[in-house]
Amino acid sequence: MNATGIPLKEPSVSAAAGDAEQLERALIDASTRVPVLMFYTSAIAWLILGTLLAGFVSFKLHMPDLFSDISFLTWGRVRPAHMNVMVYGWASMAGMGTAIWLMARLCRTVLRYPLLLVAGAGFWNLGVLLGMGGILLGDSTGYQWLEFPRYAAIILFVAYTLVASWAVLMFRFRRGEQIYITQWYLLGAFLWFPWLYAAGQLMLFVVPVQGVLQSAVGWWYANNLLFLWFGAIGLGTAYYMIPKVIGRPVYSYHLAAIGFWSYALFSSWTGMQRLVDGPFPAWMVTASIAATILTIIPVATVGLNHHMTMQGYFPLMRYSPTLRFTVFGAMSYTVFSLIGVLISLRSVARYVNFSQASIAYSHLGLYAFFTMVIFGSMYYIVPRLIGREWRYASLIKLHFWASAYGIGLMTLMLLAGGFLQGANIENPSLAFSESTETILPYLRGRSLAGILLTVSHFIFAYHFGLMLLGLGRQSTVPTFLNPVEAEGSEAHV
Amino acid sequence: MKGLAPLFLGIFGTFAFSWVGLTVIPNWQIGNLNPQSDEEGTDIYPMPQSGMVVRGARVYAANGCIYCHSQQVRADYAGDDIERKWGDRRSAPRDYIFERPVFLGKARMGQDIANIGARAPVEGENVAAGSAASPAASPAPQAGAPAPSVAPSGVSPTPPPPNAASPAPPASSTTSPPAGSPAASPAASPGSPPPRAPGAPAPKPPLASPPPSAIANATPGAATSALSGTPAAGAPWPIQTSGEPPMYSAAWQHVHLYSPRSINPDSNMPSYRFLYQTRRISDARSADALKLTGSDAPPEGWEIVPTFDANCLVAYLMSLNQSHPLKEVRSAAPAAPAQSPAAPPASPAPAK
Repeated sequence: MNATGIPLKEPSVSAAAGDAEQLERALIDASTRVPVLMFYTSAIAWLILGTLLAGFVSFKLHMPDLFSDISFLTWGRVRPAHMNVMVYGWASMAGMGTAIWLMARLCRTVLRYPLLLVAGAGFWNLGVLLGMGGILLGDSTGYQWLEFPRYAAIILFVAYTLVASWAVLMFRFRRGEQIYITQWYLLGAFLWFPWLYAAGQLMLFVVPVQGVLQSAVGWWYANNLLFLWFGAIGLGTAYYMIPKVIGRPVYSYHLAAIGFWSYALFSSWTGMQRLVDGPFPAWMVTASIAATILTIIPVATVGLNHHMTMQGYFPLMRYSPTLRFTVFGAMSYTVFSLIGVLISLRSVARYVNFSQASIAYSHLGLYAFFTMVIFGSMYYIVPRLIGREWRYASLIKLHFWASAYGIGLMTLMLLAGGFLQGANIENPSLAFSESTETILPYLRGRSLAGILLTVSHFIFAYHFGLMLLGLGRQSTVPTFLNPVEAEGSEAHV
Repeated sequence: MKGLAPLFLGIFGTFAFSWVGLTVIPNWQIGNLNPQSDEEGTDIYPMPQSGMVVRGARVYAANGCIYCHSQQVRADYAGDDIERKWGDRRSAPRDYIFERPVFLGKARMGQDIANIGARAPVEGENVAAGSAASPAASPAPQAGAPAPSVAPSGVSPTPPPPNAASPAPPASSTTSPPAGSPAASPAASPGSPPPRAPGAPAPKPPLASPPPSAIANATPGAATSALSGTPAAGAPWPIQTSGEPPMYSAAWQHVHLYSPRSINPDSNMPSYRFLYQTRRISDARSADALKLTGSDAPPEGWEIVPTFDANCLVAYLMSLNQSHPLKEVRSAAPAAPAQSPAAPPASPAPAK
């Protein structure tokens, strides 16, 4: 790749056909404007709220007396509130926003029934709000990842049904026979989530299973939410954004198919490895460990596919915010999965199973991978909805580096601290409190990382706010992170 | 990929596979366990909980105790839980059949508390022997189980801590302050851990109870020293320090919840002061007022008493007890039980 042909714009086909296609795309983008922006705006509001809650969680973990007199700010309530706001408020809403836009684009049809989506977003917000309030007021169900009290869960489910039925309807209006890779993942995500959520709710609350099986269902749900909902949306988005931005088809369609089906098959069997050596039939845990190890197959194929697509185009990450975020996320997916394999092995899990390393794992998946990919997609999509370009390249760069360093530091701190903590717990000659003391400096480091992430989220929210207010740049050229001219070329336009 | 049908089928098929495999089949396998009993149908374990314990579990869920405390003891080949004295056998699915929600937990920022109730001192015997005059120490140890086990009534299983007016501690190795110092008085909640109403006498004191003030002025020393009988393994729990209620007793749990660092300066646990109430002493100090020292102590004329939720939470904690042997799990001896669904086939021979 020489610097002269940086195709940072969509590749134009031929002049006339290209114009028609551009027009069609513009129409489709315009039709997604209200619902997608509604999802994005809500998501970013939840992101800010969740970040503030995360600050509480992080600082209170090493300053246990902070606000401990106030019932709704006690650590054990703020933590699930933070987690659920991030999972259902931020990640799910942002992911749905991106997925909606991608569906419309890939079905090559203007968005129909926008009211379904608007109502869905409204109900979803209501559900998250009620759920968060319920948790803070002491109404948590006590099941991890499903802490929302039942009234909130029902509202969420109603909201979701609206969105999913929209997705299925859109599929019926699609044009063209070919179903692109991204659509596989999105369709999967849209169909898996309701089943998953309904199964979790039914087996835990409506017809509760007995005893430890509740934990099994809970972790089955949590891991599948991570993989089949967030993971699928994240991978699907990466499969769209990377080829789109660099203007080059995906390296191998067959590799993508192998990656998709092995992903669906193996990652859905994970979850029990988090309960390693617990009071369960051992075959359940072993099956999940085996499935976790087998996820190396989709990781390798997806990673290889992205890498080969990007081959020769990596320098573009210097310019395109979307590409930079997305590639960071796609690489983190590999790291996330490999760490997942590592900490699921029985010999390692013995030490780290009850340590903070699990938290590192969740953050790698939900943040380093999923959230970064979604940030990337937002940098691509929002200008197309609003008709303005991002105002400040410097803010995007700051956002990226604060996020990247923040999540990197957090992961490092929690992993290193978690391994030491786990080793000390597993050393009965040490008093138990040694293990908590060992991890304290790492928790302080994590709080530092949290500050970085907070900065990055506020920057992003501010920038997004400017866009919403129509204060973006009016330009036909996207905002590049670095002036392209520096490379001595104007040919990209 | 062309055509929706294969895509749909594949998406449903993979997920159905996982759903059946990881939730439905396990439900067939261990989803309908019954309590075990001996031949005569007595000595049933586990027993369903009720009353304050159930409510206490909800308090436990609401305040997110699960995010730091696990409730599962791993087998000795899989971890050092047993060596840490968190239990004397591994946990098994049957231990949890009546629990909803089940709090297995995923983190150990705090200790495992699967057996926290079993760790409570059983001072019923020795104190009853030592101090017949004790009003609260008299309820006989619960029939059958040496270790206090789940009490269906919902009242905490542990016999109340002694507030013996006449000390005579059997194994007095304590460093507690001299008996009867009124300021440091109430062996908190001298009645059962969850007294029905603050200040009410213990639920079933066979002897005439002295008025609460007398209880409040009872010596804490006796309480402290009564630690001797830890259940089951007789594990060497940490030595109790001065003047505090016996470790893991209900009174201790209250002080620990209210001010964790007054008991262990290195503790990382948040305090749960919002579960306690500071109020003016009306005429006599309440029987369940917390015995606090130093900066935690309330001002003169005030007392700190647990709310109903705090009492429920402690009742729940006191009910956590997996010390009852299970047929499918060998206590102390590590061999992987053949019958146990929890025996990992891939696990190495018990290697300790």
